[in-house]
Amino acid sequence: MSATVTYIRTYLAQAVIIVGCLAMLIGYFLVSPEAGRVADELNIWNMNVGTFTLFVGIITIFMRYGRSIINRDPNWLFHLYCLVVIALWVPFGTLTGVYSDLYQTLYLNTKITLHITIIGEMIFFCVSAMYRTFRIKSFRTFVLAFLAALMIVFNAPWLTTPFPQVGDAAYWLLNNPQMAAARAMVICGGIGGIILGIRILLGLEKGALRITGG
Amino acid sequence: MAKIPELKSQYIWLVALILFLIPAVNPLGAPFAMSDVTVKIYDLMQSLPEKSIVVMGGASVFAFDIESSPGMIACLKQMAARHLRLVTFPLGTEAAQYHKFCIDAARVDQKYGGPWKYGVDYVLLPYTPGGSAALISFLKSVEATVTLDINGVPINQLPLMRDFHSYKDIAVWMCPHWGFIDIIRYATGECGVISVSFAQSAAYATFSPYMMAYPGKVYMTNGYVGGAQYERLVGIKGLGHKVVDSYSLISVLIPALIILGNITMIVRMKEEEVEAKE
Repeated sequence: MSATVTYIRTYLAQAVIIVGCLAMLIGYFLVSPEAGRVADELNIWNMNVGTFTLFVGIITIFMRYGRSIINRDPNWLFHLYCLVVIALWVPFGTLTGVYSDLYQTLYLNTKITLHITIIGEMIFFCVSAMYRTFRIKSFRTFVLAFLAALMIVFNAPWLTTPFPQVGDAAYWLLNNPQMAAARAMVICGGIGGIILGIRILLGLEKGALRITGG
Repeated sequence: MAKIPELKSQYIWLVALILFLIPAVNPLGAPFAMSDVTVKIYDLMQSLPEKSIVVMGGASVFAFDIESSPGMIACLKQMAARHLRLVTFPLGTEAAQYHKFCIDAARVDQKYGGPWKYGVDYVLLPYTPGGSAALISFLKSVEATVTLDINGVPINQLPLMRDFHSYKDIAVWMCPHWGFIDIIRYATGECGVISVSFAQSAAYATFSPYMMAYPGKVYMTNGYVGGAQYERLVGIKGLGHKVVDSYSLISVLIPALIILGNITMIVRMKEEEVEAKE
């Protein structure tokens, strides 16, 4: 990569991020019609960029999978299948409308049904994992297994119906001890997001801006 | 000492499959308790004045959001019966298809014999990219964010959209998606709109701090059981009721397997001790 391209990729991306971030912050914290208008305009830009990324996704898939098919890489047949399906669905959606009853019926009976099946298979792995994973070898594994079993049993309708207090206990566990840990994670995530934002603004998060070409 | 044979995954899967098939073939009608939060959501929707505008919006993956659909479909039936109005605002590519699926499944449109007329009682907006930026823009100004409905009709030609301009016109925001946090942050936190999610069970545990942080403003039902509870309140038996049967059976199997797994481990450890002594 030439030095000029690297320079542009580095500093132009940083400049865009800084301008966008400051504009959003000013629009958020300051009651200023001008700042608000800039923030609104950037919001619309954001949506437009979001739309553009869908095209980038399709172009990228065609480039990568096209190369794989030409070179007969491993799994090239799956890549070919993927490109054929995209090539069929895109014009089909464009012609009939992606919200038409016909498109909806086909979408539900192909992609969605398969996806639900894949997710549904997880329950079989989970059930099998319960037998193998929750083995009490130490105090920590006891706590883990006990609480997992407790939450499953306490949420089970066959127990909460004759003993509603059990259901109340389950919600108490969810809304107090569990929530304390969840809240800690949410706060840590928020602080992490702020730090990440500052690092990006300061140019320290190099990978995110592709300065390293990664 | 008799050896306990290795329990192969396939055997466990077979037992789980049989337990799933039993209620599918012959529904058990397993009982389940009602939750206070579910009742509060129902009462909230009942208390809204006629013609109130409810938004169904958010983003996630259709296949995951199926867990939210029993409660959402039941709620749509309730909304139609109460003469409330609905605008959908999908923030994910699959959310648009999911919203249409829920409305079709609720059979509330006039073409299914329901009371709702498109454009007057409900409007489907197309997918809007941009995530939280799009959400903020939508809350500030609907017209500035979306210009056409899913059929390509300008929204200013739809009677319902003439009454809907910003967050000030939203009575409740329903989010039958995993992506509930953005809705809470911006619709509830910033604009004060009441938000409701027919949350997936894993989402409920994750998002419960937000429900506690906004008492009386954020409500969530819990998984398929929450959906079944809402179905019961509305007076229908849908997917939620069916899944409760399977859930009841599997919730017996899982603790049994945990106990069995530990018995197996203890027996093996003793066998190894005996072998080591010999």
